[in-house]
Amino acid sequence: MPKTNRAALTRRSLLAGASAGLVSSRVWAQQPSEVKVGLLVPVSGLYARPGTVMRHGAEMAVEHINAQGGVRALGGAKLKLVVLDSGDTTEKAKNAAQRMVAQEPGLVAASGAYLSSFTLAVTEVTERANLPVLTLSYSDLITDRGFKYIFQTSATAGSQARQALPQIVKLAETASGKRPKTVAIVTDNTAASVSSAKAMRDGLLAENGLQLIVDETFTPPLADATSLVQKVRSARPDLLFFLPTVISDAKLLLEKMNEFGLGQGKIPTISFGIAIAEPDMLQTVSPELLQGLLTCVASWGAKGHEALIAELKTRYREPWMTQNAISTYGDMWVIKDALEKAGKADRVAVAEALRSMDAGPSKYYPLGEIKFDEKGRRIGAGMTIVQWQSGVPVTVFPPELALVQPLWPKS
Amino acid sequence: MMQGLRSLLPILVFTVLYAALSLSVTNSYYQLVMTLVPVWAIFGLSWNLLSGYTGLISFGHAAFFGLGAYAVALGQIYFDLSPWVLIPLAAIIGGIAGLLIGFPTFRLQGHYFALAMLAYPLAILYVFEWLGFQEITLPIKRDAPIAYMQFSDHRFYTLLALAMMLATILLTRAIERSRFGMALLAIKQNEAAAEAAGINTLAWKLRAITLSGAIAGAVGGFYAVVLLVVTPQSVFGMLVSAQALTVAMFGGVGTVWGPVIGSAILIPLAETLNAEAGSRFPGIQGVIFGLAIVCVILVAPEGLFWKVRDFLRKRSGPQKMATQTAPDLPIAGSTLAAAPSPRERSQGKGDVVLEVRHLSRSFGGLKAVQDVSFKLRQNEILGIIGPNGAGKTTLFNLLNGFLRPDSGEILLNGREMSGHKPHELCEAGIGRTFQIMRPFQRMSISDNVVVGAYVRASTDVEARRLAADAIARVGLSEIADRIAGELTTKELRLMELARALAGQPRILLLDETLAGLGHDEANEVVAVIQRLARDGMTIAIIEHTMQAMVRLVDSFLVLDHGAVIVEGEPEVVTRDNRVIEAYLGKKWMAHAPH
Repeated sequence: MPKTNRAALTRRSLLAGASAGLVSSRVWAQQPSEVKVGLLVPVSGLYARPGTVMRHGAEMAVEHINAQGGVRALGGAKLKLVVLDSGDTTEKAKNAAQRMVAQEPGLVAASGAYLSSFTLAVTEVTERANLPVLTLSYSDLITDRGFKYIFQTSATAGSQARQALPQIVKLAETASGKRPKTVAIVTDNTAASVSSAKAMRDGLLAENGLQLIVDETFTPPLADATSLVQKVRSARPDLLFFLPTVISDAKLLLEKMNEFGLGQGKIPTISFGIAIAEPDMLQTVSPELLQGLLTCVASWGAKGHEALIAELKTRYREPWMTQNAISTYGDMWVIKDALEKAGKADRVAVAEALRSMDAGPSKYYPLGEIKFDEKGRRIGAGMTIVQWQSGVPVTVFPPELALVQPLWPKS
Repeated sequence: MMQGLRSLLPILVFTVLYAALSLSVTNSYYQLVMTLVPVWAIFGLSWNLLSGYTGLISFGHAAFFGLGAYAVALGQIYFDLSPWVLIPLAAIIGGIAGLLIGFPTFRLQGHYFALAMLAYPLAILYVFEWLGFQEITLPIKRDAPIAYMQFSDHRFYTLLALAMMLATILLTRAIERSRFGMALLAIKQNEAAAEAAGINTLAWKLRAITLSGAIAGAVGGFYAVVLLVVTPQSVFGMLVSAQALTVAMFGGVGTVWGPVIGSAILIPLAETLNAEAGSRFPGIQGVIFGLAIVCVILVAPEGLFWKVRDFLRKRSGPQKMATQTAPDLPIAGSTLAAAPSPRERSQGKGDVVLEVRHLSRSFGGLKAVQDVSFKLRQNEILGIIGPNGAGKTTLFNLLNGFLRPDSGEILLNGREMSGHKPHELCEAGIGRTFQIMRPFQRMSISDNVVVGAYVRASTDVEARRLAADAIARVGLSEIADRIAGELTTKELRLMELARALAGQPRILLLDETLAGLGHDEANEVVAVIQRLARDGMTIAIIEHTMQAMVRLVDSFLVLDHGAVIVEGEPEVVTRDNRVIEAYLGKKWMAHAPH
């Protein structure tokens, strides 16, 4: 009914109702027919593609939630997705956040904003507006600022590196029969890669009995990968940690490795992040080059998501479900659960519900629970190891989420 | 003083209206847009101060902007200092960076300068990435927000930005009207002419880039406070440098209004497009924004401000011009009659003011000037003639310091002056005009002339007095307020003469002052030159043709292939076989009177 009420408002009744506004808004809040949820992601510019996939995930989730009866605690209120374009610069992202909080006062929560630097800027605004934001960005900085309205669903970069190493060592040991001893790191200098590499250098490698023998950092975009690959070839490490962010850099390095005879797993190559497992990869790099390449991602379509993966394929013609789709899908469900718990469509109440939430094992994010610590980091947030197999990146780890068995490159 | 206040009125009215508008905005998003307009306007003004006035296009203003932004962000993170302290500090850092960047880069000119400037922010960007400052945020201060410039009401930011913008505008205006601004404008029109007019161009350019860098640094620091997150791309990126160019070029280059107009239109337009079109057709906002800029640049290449001003001037222009053109004719006519012939002046007896001994200069194998010697006496008019390519202008360039002689001496009152810079030679008393006129098109005659006066004047008032005096001496007082772009060739020649005179030179070097003038017009200019000589000026004049010169000069110096072939009184020189041969070729020798 509020919709027709609003349409019938005249200026006079607005004036007359101004004093009664507080009362009436509370009445609306108790029985809303729809609750607005924000999605602030890049849908134009350089990062439009991942942003669009996030939008797909959010749209699917909202549709599923509404089809299953909406928010029961609010009388079956439907979720309504409000999409804002964060553009391709930090300034645009921040402006979009300001627009979101100013022009959508009815928002109860939001998800965003893809790049860590965008999320940092966006949450500076949403924090001051008391709007809870769920993010898949995993820079440690995001939840190191003492903010109260940011909830990080992915394991942070530092935590991912900590988790990944023991598992990869284990994987290598079981597959090849011997424990890897030496590693090379080839990384670009973007924030996420830098924190991953730093965590490895500052003790993680030593803890896992690994010796760093090549350590190369480059600035994207890479013009020529020859010298980097030459260093790796002459050192012959047991494992290569390969941390590009830009697809063109990944392509250049993979091609050069193949040219030097290191491709297709001659040296087991492990990456972090999803760039290397995006569908775009196949447009530039052949499946043969990618075969066996591993990447540690914060989240991926996995065991239990088969129906979602199929739906995404048919509806949006996406070849597989990346972190962007599945995480954003999960975000909408978490917001829905928080609304059920809060019992009212109010952003502060939703934030409080998220802080105190304990909704059991996570269904859409890998491992852990739907519960956040005092920094806003999801407790027990695990990660997924994905491997390119016959032109598709599939989840191979952890075993409880794995869709197929891992192929370990033969030594 | 009253006029100064009156011209400030539009700026003050604009600022007050903008402040009132910003206070009435309650939507925090529009408040942010209201803050960004003055921010980018200030950045545009900072760019304008260097590039708009000197014409040296900087593609790298993000260098100063970014250093300011990082100074504020890092200062707060590592030293817990407040932006209230850090923004002035950012200005100092920006200024120092300007000086350090300007010193080596001003050796380059034109496109090379622009490209070199482009490199600085991109290089610094990688330095900051390498240092590990890819993403830094200004820590939130919940207990003392005001002390750290963290307002919950966004309107305070707008007012602060507006105050900074007003200060920048006032500073720019003050510069524009002082010798500083005049020097920069002169550099823009013709750097060589500016040097010749006694302007130490490197010193003024360094002052301009220091000040420009300081403003950019301060506004960069403020931007960091507003944006709260600083990344190398967001403060050193290409788009940041481009933003300064865009707002200034859209609004109008070389005026305080330009960046303000550009920013006030483009920033809200871009934001509205992002908000309205962006969510429906992602990416379309960039296309519309780009097209809008392309259209405006096509229609108004110098920016909106100048287009509108020219339009208004055209509408009110015609009546003014009709009343102004008449009076200057009789003046010139009467002076012609009153002018004494060369014979009436004492000639060849005065003190030697300038002595040139064995002056030579080659360009590769071409001996442009070889072993030229002559003396120029007080109150004398020396005509330097010769066919095209004889080395006349090269000789002048050697005399006023544009070129360094390979050998030989230039003695000014007995002092060796060869190898000095043009502005030093100008100070020493050598003034010159140019074969190709370089008037400052948009400036009035008085403003054009005052540029030349600063070399002698210690105050702006004195400079104005000297300029008015010089304009009176060439007979342009009646039309002193006319814009140079509206003048005839003769009036421009006289104006250039006045500009050289305003520096009170002892010797005037005139390079083809009569070129392009009709017979009557040439006579008028000749009359003015004769009057100057009568009043004690020593003059060397280059001419291509001899007719007008014969009546004017006391003696001739005839050059051919860089060497002196004849020197002497006009009657003797015009009958000399070598002169006839140089001008007409050997076959005319037979017809020459012997």
